[in-house]
Amino acid sequence: MSSLESTTQTRAENLAQDNQVIRVEAVSKLFRTPSEGAIRALQDISLNVPYGEFVTVVGPSGCGKSTLIKLIAGFSAPSSGRILYQGDEVRGLNTRVGYVPQESKLFPWLTVEENVGFGLDSKRFPRPERERQVNYFIKLAGLTGFEKYYPAQLSGGMSKRASIMRALAYEPPVILMDEPFGPLDAQTRMVLQDELLKIWEQKRQTIVFVTHDLVEAVALADRVVVMTHRPGKIKDIIDVPMARPRNIFEIHRQEGFDEAYGRLWNIFRHELKLRSH
Amino acid sequence: MSKDVSHEHSEIGSAQDQDDVALKREAGFNLRGLRITLLRFGIVGGFLLLWQIASGRWIEPFLISSPSRIFASLITGFQSGDLLQHTWVTFTEIAIGFPAGAITGIALGYWFGRSRVLAEIFEPIIIALNGIPRTALAPLFIVWLGIGIWSKVGVVFLLTFFLNFFNTYTGMRQMDQEYVDLARLMRVRGLKLTFRVILPAISPYVFTGIRTSIPFSVIGAIVGEFIAATEGVGFFIRLSAGIFRTADVFVGIIVLMFMVIIMDRIAGMVEKRVLRWQAQSEHVGVQG
Repeated sequence: MSSLESTTQTRAENLAQDNQVIRVEAVSKLFRTPSEGAIRALQDISLNVPYGEFVTVVGPSGCGKSTLIKLIAGFSAPSSGRILYQGDEVRGLNTRVGYVPQESKLFPWLTVEENVGFGLDSKRFPRPERERQVNYFIKLAGLTGFEKYYPAQLSGGMSKRASIMRALAYEPPVILMDEPFGPLDAQTRMVLQDELLKIWEQKRQTIVFVTHDLVEAVALADRVVVMTHRPGKIKDIIDVPMARPRNIFEIHRQEGFDEAYGRLWNIFRHELKLRSH
Repeated sequence: MSKDVSHEHSEIGSAQDQDDVALKREAGFNLRGLRITLLRFGIVGGFLLLWQIASGRWIEPFLISSPSRIFASLITGFQSGDLLQHTWVTFTEIAIGFPAGAITGIALGYWFGRSRVLAEIFEPIIIALNGIPRTALAPLFIVWLGIGIWSKVGVVFLLTFFLNFFNTYTGMRQMDQEYVDLARLMRVRGLKLTFRVILPAISPYVFTGIRTSIPFSVIGAIVGEFIAATEGVGFFIRLSAGIFRTADVFVGIIVLMFMVIIMDRIAGMVEKRVLRWQAQSEHVGVQG
């Protein structure tokens, strides 16, 4: 499977448009199931993400939000529509993004440092640079002292951090995160959200972050993409004009939080009513 | 963040305490383990004693021999160098056929697992071939490769190959595909993908294949030697049975038993080393 091929005539035109790193154009995705026939997971999704933006995608479970970032990562192809990444249509695996899966999915047979350094290829990162890079990210994740540990010896929060560092270490311009803090307890979650924002404020990569937690969606994002239940459609996109750096631990007191959260909740309250009738 | 790191360290501390508790409990287990070992020796010893007494009194010695006769035959067999030669021949057949069969099986299982087309074409054929009782093919190998060691190497190879192939191929199908996708997303391909991701991911299956095929490799060599041979432990057993030297039959069986045990131990040691990421996860482990 060859990864990315560009259609040359459209490339220049795509690049000329603006500084969007991801362009999702009228994408739908159908899944065939043996019991229910074809299921429409995504319907007519259009979304642009500019460089350096922190976008969260929020919606009820089963709304296709994970499917959306899997399509951006190129794990599967859209049924209709297309996705452009840096002006090229995504065909096959998109090796120019980083991806943090729902479970940590660290390679259990590699140590923490081998996992974090896994994506560093020897051409771009010869040995000394590689070591420096791995050490830097291990320190950033607060995993110093655990370099030689295997994933099975780590706590849930620690594996999560290592998993995020594995995606950050080779410095892809875009990182896709699929409910990375999902199964963690509330405190660990907040600590990791705080760490993620600190790292992002230094590096300013583009992050597309999928979550079902409304507070998390608002607290982290520049923009929140709100999706509705099946078939997954974009209901609204909310700007979060809160100042940065943000204090995750007292996010409720920050100016702008209430307003953004209120708007988000209004949408979901409406959704809940619709579904209960 | 530093606050959090110290938190993690305190978790290690508590794990240390738990380890101490576990060690104390283990001491208790050792006492229990000792009792079990004693009981085990008692049962085996009792059986051998009963055998010794029964032989000659209740049952003809040429039918069941006796532990003392077997031990004496074992000593004289190795002293004369005769038995050593037979053992060496059988060992050689296995030492060639087993690694060759295992490596070919693992390689082909891996290859089939990677290529959907290959798997679709050959899977039913291989399953059909697997339905053949493979030891039934041993006479053919004698016809093809003669009565020397190579026909036995062939049978050993065949038995080892299929078990390793099936286990590796099952591993390839059961493997969590997300590991491969993640690695490929990180632009990892070729040898690194094979040796750093796929083979480790399927290694538990590969080792199951290797370890289950060990006794079968010995069976392969013996069956080959039963059919037609001029030396080897299988030949020695058949010859001894033919002239009612029952003690020597048991000597041959004991030699084979130790061969299997030693091979299994070696494989077990390698497995423990290669799969240490798994083993450690059971023993140590940080809670939280």
